[in-house]
Amino acid sequence: MSEQLLTRTGLLIRLNLKRDWTKILIWTLALAGLFTAIAAKFDGIYSTQKAIDSVVVTLKTPAMISLFGAFTAKAPYTTAKIFATEMVVFMAMVMIIMNIMLAVATTRGEEDDGLLELVRAHSVGRLAPLTAGIVELTGLNVVIGLLFGAGLQVAGMPGANTTGNWLIGAGLAAMGWLFGMLTLLVAQLADNAGETTMLSYAIFGIMYIARMGTDVSNPKLTWWIPFGWIEKLSIYQHNDWLPVLWILLLGMVVAIAAAGLNWKRDLGAGFLATRQGRPTASPLLRGPLSLLWRNSRTTVIAWLVGSFVLGASYGSIFNTIGDLAKSNPMIKQLLGATALAAANRVIVKNFIAVLAIVVVIVALIPAVQTMLKLVSDENKGYLHQLYATATSRWQVWGSYTGFALVEAILVAFAGFGGMYLTGAVVMSDPIKWLTYWHVLLAYVPAMLVMIAFASFLAGWLPKWRVLAWVWVLYGFFSLYLGALIKLPTWAKKLTPLGFVNKVPLHAIDWSTNWWLLALTVLILVVASLGYRHRDLAQ
Amino acid sequence: MATTAPLLKISHLQKRFGKFQALKNIDFEIYPGEVFGFIGPNGAGKSTTIRVLLGILKASGGSATIFGQDVWQKSVAIHRRIAYVPGDVYLWPNLSGGEIIDLFLKMNGAKHSATTDALIKEFGLDPRKKARTYSKGNRQKVALIAAFSTPADFYIFDEPTSGLDPLNEQTFQEHVLQLKAQGKSVLLSSHILSEVEKMCDRIGIIREGTIVETGTLAEMRHLTRTTIEVQTVQPLTKLASLPGVHGLTSKHGENHMSLAVDADQLSAVMSYLTAQQLVTLTSTPPTLEDLFMRYYESPNDARANDGK
Repeated sequence: MSEQLLTRTGLLIRLNLKRDWTKILIWTLALAGLFTAIAAKFDGIYSTQKAIDSVVVTLKTPAMISLFGAFTAKAPYTTAKIFATEMVVFMAMVMIIMNIMLAVATTRGEEDDGLLELVRAHSVGRLAPLTAGIVELTGLNVVIGLLFGAGLQVAGMPGANTTGNWLIGAGLAAMGWLFGMLTLLVAQLADNAGETTMLSYAIFGIMYIARMGTDVSNPKLTWWIPFGWIEKLSIYQHNDWLPVLWILLLGMVVAIAAAGLNWKRDLGAGFLATRQGRPTASPLLRGPLSLLWRNSRTTVIAWLVGSFVLGASYGSIFNTIGDLAKSNPMIKQLLGATALAAANRVIVKNFIAVLAIVVVIVALIPAVQTMLKLVSDENKGYLHQLYATATSRWQVWGSYTGFALVEAILVAFAGFGGMYLTGAVVMSDPIKWLTYWHVLLAYVPAMLVMIAFASFLAGWLPKWRVLAWVWVLYGFFSLYLGALIKLPTWAKKLTPLGFVNKVPLHAIDWSTNWWLLALTVLILVVASLGYRHRDLAQ
Repeated sequence: MATTAPLLKISHLQKRFGKFQALKNIDFEIYPGEVFGFIGPNGAGKSTTIRVLLGILKASGGSATIFGQDVWQKSVAIHRRIAYVPGDVYLWPNLSGGEIIDLFLKMNGAKHSATTDALIKEFGLDPRKKARTYSKGNRQKVALIAAFSTPADFYIFDEPTSGLDPLNEQTFQEHVLQLKAQGKSVLLSSHILSEVEKMCDRIGIIREGTIVETGTLAEMRHLTRTTIEVQTVQPLTKLASLPGVHGLTSKHGENHMSLAVDADQLSAVMSYLTAQQLVTLTSTPPTLEDLFMRYYESPNDARANDGK
């Protein structure tokens, strides 16, 4: 029986590796290299006890807790403890993104392309493709986890110990793996790759927001959220291996559930069945733009709602963080009511400036996805017939590009809107909408440059379109971690997001805004020329 | 004069992908009211030619015009007057067949009409189903229905029936003949010889990126060979040396042979056979298939070997 289910798993694993090896290699080198490099540099960044103590104060603020998790390390503080606090949540997120991408590609992606049907037709076990995916993801996470551990061993930060080093590696690997397995499970429920990606990120997003809430209000509750377990390792303190065990156990349950569903369902179908469609097109469906909207409206709405919820949950803790008197009752007498309110507002504004990074990245993801859909739709042949109609290339390119630009602005708008609304509800002295509006205005031109770059890749170098993602990931890294790991200024300016002033703490830098907009227009003109003149995929 | 101007004119068309020369020398014309059959083995360049005609690929050399306009420069204006069905139809998985048909019609400035409904019924398509659940044949039906209900002047079909069942294939042929009756022009790339024989006025044969033959079917039949099985009183010793004789095989000794004869050498060969005193003779008329097989066989041109 088991032989029949798993026949040729080994062969499929080899095929998967042959297909994915560049992706795997790039991810592995980038992640392990980044992690080790930061660890090696950390001693230089936080070399004195004074520097360490001052960053501890920062890390204990709610803004930082919402980004990096509750600060649980106890004195004496060491470089290694700071490293663990700053890096674990961020690296876990990157590991999760990698696992979701690979898991979707190896399951639904292949099934959508009809490749799996060919594979299954050969003497291949029923569960072999899924098992091959499980083995591939497991192996990848194990390798990266080992490299993380080894990297820390080599880096030898003050205050680090061998157990803690390997625990970080194991914890990150286990968390990535858990989400790989979760994606495999979701792949059985949804009935196509796009839906699988969306559902997987939705699960991750909900967990991320939930852990942020519990971390700020009551860190004990974070135990209820599987993603939060990564914060419970107590690295370089107690070095608690129990959460890793929990993560692995949950991952196994999820993997078994995925296998069970995979065993039952038909190929190409999901448990969430496809409904019937309209017999004729709505009068609104008439060209490439409405077609794009029709095809991605669910995704767009999901991102808008997700971004709004993210912003709203940040806003809901503004009263907790923006109340100095709560932690120190004496302060009100010292400063006086007016000055206190002003001080509180500065704290919240500082918080908003930090959160803006998350909202902006969240808004860039669907926009870049839409932009690159121009290439993937072409490669899948969906645009082939469209080009034979009286629709110009310019129209198609313009529709996708325009859609992506507007999408980015709207998703960011939803995030800041959510922040404003819940902030206004919970705060006694709310921050005005104009403040949020300025943050949005400050970031929009930089975001547009990044989308225009994706459009340029679609027009000239469709094979290199992954570079658009590399740039977004780099922006995420440099903004999320840049300040804490003291990234040099030139490195921060490798992304247009690095040119944005710390709005709302500072005023908008209009001259930067204008030249970023001019750059956007320039890149878009070049992009459209490329798209007009290149051969389209067969 | 205006009526005899070609609707499509390709001269010396070339297309290179990197080092690979997909189209070396494509030359043909299609006149108004004509159904043109475009034939050749897999990978010969049929679809590449069609994609250049549609402005999806940019030609590396030569010229191609439709309605007298350059296919790359004026693609949008040209597309307004053409309808196209690709060999592999890929449809947006989330849209229903009905929606896609309407969308294609709208993008060409046409509308869902009674003809569209009739076509949906005739082809037996369920327009409510999402494209994701369609089979290859059903996806082709979607493209065919959209094309046939578009009031175009020129129709391009790239192996449109490869996934259709025989009944639907019949429906397809009927509609192409209707287009022909209305005086529309059609470019039909196909492997199905009966389809080509039934519908096409003229044929172009492409091989390895070059058009090797164009002409009417009647003209082409001259190029075919008649298969003969013959028994004579005298031995047929000199038969092998006669021009235009191919595939000579001995059945029972030297008096009973089977052979193929080029159409233009038939009289000469027949008079030799008669001279050897015929006992029995059966001849099989040339089929289109024989003709195609000669061109499909690779890699050296069959004609070159025969010194024709």
